[in-house]
Amino acid sequence: MAAAAPSATALAGAALPLPLSARPQPARFSVALPRTAPPPPALRLRSVRRLAAAEGPPAGMKETLDKVVSAHKVVLFMKGTKDFPQCGFSHTVVQILRSLDVPFETLDVLANDALRQGLKDYSSWPTFPQLYIDGEFFGGCDITLEAYKSGELQETLEKAMCS
Amino acid sequence: MMGSRGTSVVLSRAARMRQKLQSALEASALDIEDVSYQHAGHAAVKDNANETHFNIKVISPKFEGQSLVKRHRMVYDLLTDELNSGLHAISIVAKTPTESGS
Repeated sequence: MAAAAPSATALAGAALPLPLSARPQPARFSVALPRTAPPPPALRLRSVRRLAAAEGPPAGMKETLDKVVSAHKVVLFMKGTKDFPQCGFSHTVVQILRSLDVPFETLDVLANDALRQGLKDYSSWPTFPQLYIDGEFFGGCDITLEAYKSGELQETLEKAMCS
Repeated sequence: MMGSRGTSVVLSRAARMRQKLQSALEASALDIEDVSYQHAGHAAVKDNANETHFNIKVISPKFEGQSLVKRHRMVYDLLTDELNSGLHAISIVAKTPTESGS
């Protein structure tokens, strides 16, 4: 297991520019960017700070994650950020959520190793992205894509938005 | 990395995954496709792009009555050792014999 990273490093990591090689084509985002509201930084920064301070006792991690996943209707734990996903699977889920015009929060698991490890246990799911709707684990990329195609995702989101 | 995998030296990851999934799920069909080449050079697999990404299609009677999330967890659970030893991501299609129409 990786030891909890020093909090200063973890926080700096959240704001670090991505390596050039990992940046998606700018063209891909030229359409998506203008319609995206700037993400409110509050959730991201607060939770990352709290998680970095948690230093891995599973109990504290669980409570923290309980709060994080229910702080918003739709929370996506992903690699990279909405505008610069670092992985094709995370990118796919971002695109799906954008196409459905639902507000969603994202957290970058690459910026915080404690968060990344903690979530694997919390969700009983070893990979990312992980999508939470209404505080419930919905699925990874495959399930989200399948549910999007079948309409089940839209249904679940509508229910969540009305609740 | 250590474990009871006495044959891991000679078997590829794909072959080990096949064994584990086939026997535990009593799969009536099992496709395992290595798509690591599609992810070579991506942030998490800089050094070793061998057998890191797979597409898995599995048809199993054990998926009957299970949600998709549960089915995927069943597959993930069986592949824990692999996920802890360099397997980075798998794309899963998990169906029951009835759903697959076979």
